[in-house]
Amino acid sequence: MMALVPPFACAALGEPESSVAGDVQQLKGSIKSTVRSNYRVHEIQLPSGTVLREFAAVNGNVFAVAWSGPAIPDLRQALGRYFDVYVKAAHEKQGGHHRHLLIEQSEFVMHSSGHMRAFSGRAYLPQALPPGTSAGEIR
Amino acid sequence: MRGVAHMVAAGLIGVSSLSFVSCGGGGGAGVVSAPPPPTNMVSVIVDAGPNNNSVNTLFTTVTVCVPGSTTDCQTIDHIQVDTGSHGLRLLAPVLTLSLPVTTASDGNSLVECTQFVDGYSWGPIALADIQIAGETASSVPIQVIGSPAFTTVPANCSATGTAEDTVADFGANGILGIGVFEQDCGSFCAPPNSANTFYYSCAAASVCAETAVPLDSQVLNPIALFPTDNDGSILELPSVTAPGATTLTGSLIFGIDTQSNNASGSETVLGLDLSGDLTTVFNALSLTQSFVDSGTNGIYFDDGNLTPCPPPTNPGDPSFLGFYCPASAQTLTATLTGNNNASVTEMFTVDNAQTLATGNPTFTVLPTLAGTYSTITNSNTSNTFDWGLPFYYGRRVITAIENQRTAVGTGPYVAF
Repeated sequence: MMALVPPFACAALGEPESSVAGDVQQLKGSIKSTVRSNYRVHEIQLPSGTVLREFAAVNGNVFAVAWSGPAIPDLRQALGRYFDVYVKAAHEKQGGHHRHLLIEQSEFVMHSSGHMRAFSGRAYLPQALPPGTSAGEIR
Repeated sequence: MRGVAHMVAAGLIGVSSLSFVSCGGGGGAGVVSAPPPPTNMVSVIVDAGPNNNSVNTLFTTVTVCVPGSTTDCQTIDHIQVDTGSHGLRLLAPVLTLSLPVTTASDGNSLVECTQFVDGYSWGPIALADIQIAGETASSVPIQVIGSPAFTTVPANCSATGTAEDTVADFGANGILGIGVFEQDCGSFCAPPNSANTFYYSCAAASVCAETAVPLDSQVLNPIALFPTDNDGSILELPSVTAPGATTLTGSLIFGIDTQSNNASGSETVLGLDLSGDLTTVFNALSLTQSFVDSGTNGIYFDDGNLTPCPPPTNPGDPSFLGFYCPASAQTLTATLTGNNNASVTEMFTVDNAQTLATGNPTFTVLPTLAGTYSTITNSNTSNTFDWGLPFYYGRRVITAIENQRTAVGTGPYVAF
């Protein structure tokens, strides 16, 4: 069954920009790319209705991802090797904080919020932010 | 429990049109036979919850029955009252009834991966009659979270995070979603949208594929299915003096402008968008993904001028990361604007979360508790202002369901 097939090994956050194509394929999305002053944004429209944005620096590395829409995207795919960091941190915050999750580590920052039918969030690697880029741009 | 093995087996091979889900053991469950008094009002309480660790979390008690039965019923307390979700979800370990599992369009069992921001809840959709106060909604699709009949979570579901399939992880015995929509997912999950990441058709416990679900087979807001008093609800909670209180008791009233106790009047109606959101203007920023939500345990927003709580000093210390910890209480102002251009300006007070909690260890009602989207000073990173349960203290908040016409407007709206 399709649901039992593990996802592709390629990842987004912290991976080369070339992995974005893998994300588009794995997530069955369509893509639109735009160039900003010191990074590129690849916007993937997912079948669930959610938009996933991947932010790539001029060196080609994905330093941030952000999402907004009716469903939380496949974070195992989008966060790549940082997915396990997210799951571990989220599990330690037991007790039903269903609307907010904030993880701030030296290497990895993530915030996820929203409610049924409207989720949004972002994750980024603070040490990989291009010069002059603020976390507020990651949406 | 009657016939559990047979009913679960029937579900696994997908032969019958309905399979049954039941759940072992479980505390706090009583059987009722007499109907509750005829009323549209139920008591709600803020307390420490089933895990004795909740803060600013609103609970009520719900009775569920096997569809059509007046005797196969169970009354379950500490169901969280949540205007930010839709439909009733019960944690399997507290459910002693055998409820019929519904089927997907291909005849297999219908199972849902409910997404919350901090994790997912996996479990089958079952039918139940829901009794709250004197109101009854019949044969309502609900979710049974953490059912032992469906323990294998599809990779697409677990890809959203960590499981919240136990009372300890979930923070309640269940959740009563009474937001502004009739279904939990709506058109995003309806045919032909099978890749919706919420609903799955399971031919066996470990063989599940995403599926589209017609609107009326999705998990449904039970209020919309009441024969009367079905256009929305009103939450009435008393005011609380800072720093707070041990518990707080109020009322959930069903219907708007249907009875003498639910007339709308002087409230300002704020229309909501297709996501259930409104706009909040705060610190000169227009935050267009804002919402009013009884299911959030504080007021959440970004303010670079407000001191966030530091990480714990020692490993194992309680963490207040994500909350604000100003040196003294700060009073702030923000304006909520609906998509009908009506607006209300609110003053609210934010105090030090760590001081509030450690200085008042028995308090579960903390009206000045507030949280942040980022602890990085001066970074306004979010487009959201979340008016959580403290916003409800001391007022009467009306939640009108989509397409429902009341005396003062048409849902979806909130009014206060």
